[in-house]
Amino acid sequence: MDRNVWPAALRTVVGFLAGLACWMALSPSYARLLATLSEPLLRMSEIPAVTRLVPDGKNIVVERTDFPKRSARPELQPEDLTFNIILLMTLFAMNSSPLSTRNVSGFLAAAGILCVTHVLALFVTIKSIYALQLGHWSLAHYGYYSRSFWSGAAHFYRLIGLYAIAFGLWWLLRPPESSAGAGGSGKRKRQRKSKRTASR
Amino acid sequence: MRPFPGNERSRFLLKFFVAIVLLYVFIAVKPVNDAVIVPFTAWLSDISASVLRIGGEEARVNGTVIRTSGFAVDVRNGCNGVEAAILLVSAILAFPSAPGPKLLGIVGGFLLLETINILRIVSLVWLGAHHPQVFQMFHVAVWQTVIIVVSVAIFLLWSWKFGSKRLARST
Repeated sequence: MDRNVWPAALRTVVGFLAGLACWMALSPSYARLLATLSEPLLRMSEIPAVTRLVPDGKNIVVERTDFPKRSARPELQPEDLTFNIILLMTLFAMNSSPLSTRNVSGFLAAAGILCVTHVLALFVTIKSIYALQLGHWSLAHYGYYSRSFWSGAAHFYRLIGLYAIAFGLWWLLRPPESSAGAGGSGKRKRQRKSKRTASR
Repeated sequence: MRPFPGNERSRFLLKFFVAIVLLYVFIAVKPVNDAVIVPFTAWLSDISASVLRIGGEEARVNGTVIRTSGFAVDVRNGCNGVEAAILLVSAILAFPSAPGPKLLGIVGGFLLLETINILRIVSLVWLGAHHPQVFQMFHVAVWQTVIIVVSVAIFLLWSWKFGSKRLARST
């Protein structure tokens, strides 16, 4: 096995623990941020604009001004949509020189894009709640194709999309000379081999 | 010289996301889900319950539901390792390499991922039964991230082993 695997494994564990700690500590504040950013998007998609997103600790309560006052409000846990930040931090920590300017700036750019995808994921999740989970109201306001689209999009994101996005951002924005990059070992092996050949 | 040039990265990502969407659609359609995914998940649950029984837990299985005294979990999509396998398979398919190594990576990677996934299910059932206060954190954040990191690590090791020649030509 390549000699650089074990330091990379150690960096991966440290990055994972740091990501987990950040995610746990910042979840309530991040839920508020997501609610603030997603609410205008939802209201733009509605006529009339009736949705309000109310943060409640780590959760977000979906309020609609046209709901009966006594009916239960849908509540969701944005943590289920945002934990891919831990994966992103872990993958960037895996890179050689994780604290280099290029790696840190790549991570910050990826985290910014990830935040945009979280806003969109919250939007899609709430649309899927509207389309599927509100009984007769859902059937009256969403047709078959529209229900299939929103439920499919939400399920895709939750099952595989959130991982694929984090992996894709890391792949695209990691520094080019990263040891975690594909082909690195082959290149080093060829370099070592050509050195040995030259010294004979 | 760059190990993986920008346009190669973008080409890889495009193929990767196309493969992800196609594989997701394949496993999400009801006939495939009912005939392959659900029986496979039930089989994983069976094995996990057997491991738990070896460890002294009174675990019983009904379909995809594992019950111990005072705790039960329903193993579903997202906990059966299929999501990590889809990521791995998509990455291997998108990466420039010969068909033989790709098949080896896919089969070997899938077996390794599912072995680790059984460990995930066993540990989660045990945590739910004995330390329910940390179950949710381990279920959502820890194990889901770990299984995907393992999937990425398998892909990187595979690409180091089998992807270098083609990449050497492209640099």
